[in-house]
Amino acid sequence: MSNLENNDIVVTSRIRLARNLKNYKFPINMTHDESDNVIKEINKAINTHDKNYKLTYMKDLSDVQTNSLIENHIISPALAKKRDDGAFLLSPDQKVSIMINEEDHIRIQTLGDGLSLKECWNLSNNIDDILEENIEYAFDRELGYITSCPTNIGTGMRASVMLHLPALSITNQIDKLLYGVSQLGIAVRGVYGEGTKSIGHLYQVSNQGTLGASEETLIDKITQIVMQIIDKEKSTREHLMKNNYDELEDDFYRAYGLLTNARKISADEAMKLLSLVKLGSEMGITPMVKGKNIYELMICIQPNNISTIEGTDISIKERDKKRAEIIRRELLR
Amino acid sequence: MLCSECGKNEANVHVTHIINGKKTESHLCEECAKKNQAILNSNFSMENLFSAMLNNAFNNKTVLPAKGCSNCGMTYDAFRNTGKFGCSHCIDSFKTRLMPVIKNIQGYDRHVGKIPKRAGGNYRVQMDIERLKSDLRNAVEREEYEHAAELRDKIHELENKMKGDE
Repeated sequence: MSNLENNDIVVTSRIRLARNLKNYKFPINMTHDESDNVIKEINKAINTHDKNYKLTYMKDLSDVQTNSLIENHIISPALAKKRDDGAFLLSPDQKVSIMINEEDHIRIQTLGDGLSLKECWNLSNNIDDILEENIEYAFDRELGYITSCPTNIGTGMRASVMLHLPALSITNQIDKLLYGVSQLGIAVRGVYGEGTKSIGHLYQVSNQGTLGASEETLIDKITQIVMQIIDKEKSTREHLMKNNYDELEDDFYRAYGLLTNARKISADEAMKLLSLVKLGSEMGITPMVKGKNIYELMICIQPNNISTIEGTDISIKERDKKRAEIIRRELLR
Repeated sequence: MLCSECGKNEANVHVTHIINGKKTESHLCEECAKKNQAILNSNFSMENLFSAMLNNAFNNKTVLPAKGCSNCGMTYDAFRNTGKFGCSHCIDSFKTRLMPVIKNIQGYDRHVGKIPKRAGGNYRVQMDIERLKSDLRNAVEREEYEHAAELRDKIHELENKMKGDE
């Protein structure tokens, strides 16, 4: 089982650490001045170590800019709601974002490609250490890092992995599998976190509990479960290859045909078709897509990402036209 | 069917909860359903469920005096409704009542992960030892003896370090 194949199924990994400052009230209870001071303190703490982080206040962003950041997984939908008090620090490579005054004072988020939870944890852990040099965290010896919501208490860590599971989805095994996984203390969410639906057969798998296990143990547990899901997805792909080759080949070529010819397309339809084309390419059935990053394309055709490039006043119809154009250009390149 | 809560009105809101694999169904009338915000809220997030659990945990016991957090003044009621602490001291103010609920939702009531350096060097080492001991037990259970031996050596090393510091 090569790593490259696994990276086809696991698209990205992410670690999020929730932290709070001991000497400030929590975001739910803060005045505007207090939240401003929290932003300044955290900005100062990171700047004493690394001057390359860029601070952005949520109040300075337009709706489209904000939503585009969500689509790119740089900020959470919850931070977007903190228009007056929220801010974030972003590393130049966009792999680290430190959200400020979301549900907690600090949410350190690190992103990596493929199954890379350990690397993400090392990076988050490192940034956490840097911040701690200048900031006193709210910490309880029994209960660990104190978070706004008791569901995050302890490690404050959410480790999540984005999985592309088309074979399990088409064969209707996904619900059963995800139900089984949820029995093991693992949460399954849509692409954009809690309360969002799955699109393009993409699922986010993360730890439910945050207390009573070390960060490494939690990461090992998720990694083990993800490996099992990968195996199931792979064996289902093999099964499909053996028993349903003709149907699959037809489906993949139709999807490719639509994507390379459509003159306007909705995000929903594009996601479904791109998911098929990605699967076709990974199964070696549609070789013309090989080497193209379909996941990146899936992110880049999200509504607000298109509006960011094309201008905020773009109509839905114009956006659908633009989307079709981007997809054609990318696939036929 | 009559409402399972008040037993008076016709039940027209049907809710299925699956918590930790246990399925429970309730059939409520509109009035009783309205009383339960968590049911009306279609976003069944972890936080919302938690807040619902808090409500149950508190309601089942005797009514508590409405004394708030000594630092930020957040009251139990406010905490119950939002499921969110107002400051880092709330946890101490509400601790005795909170612990069973935390254990219920998290499955544990003790942190064994990372400890900030400021929380004290020795304490950190002590926690590391506890964590390694638990890893050691797991390794032995899985019959990974080589790994277990490594862990045992690490524990000895840390224990000696602690003795040296004293």
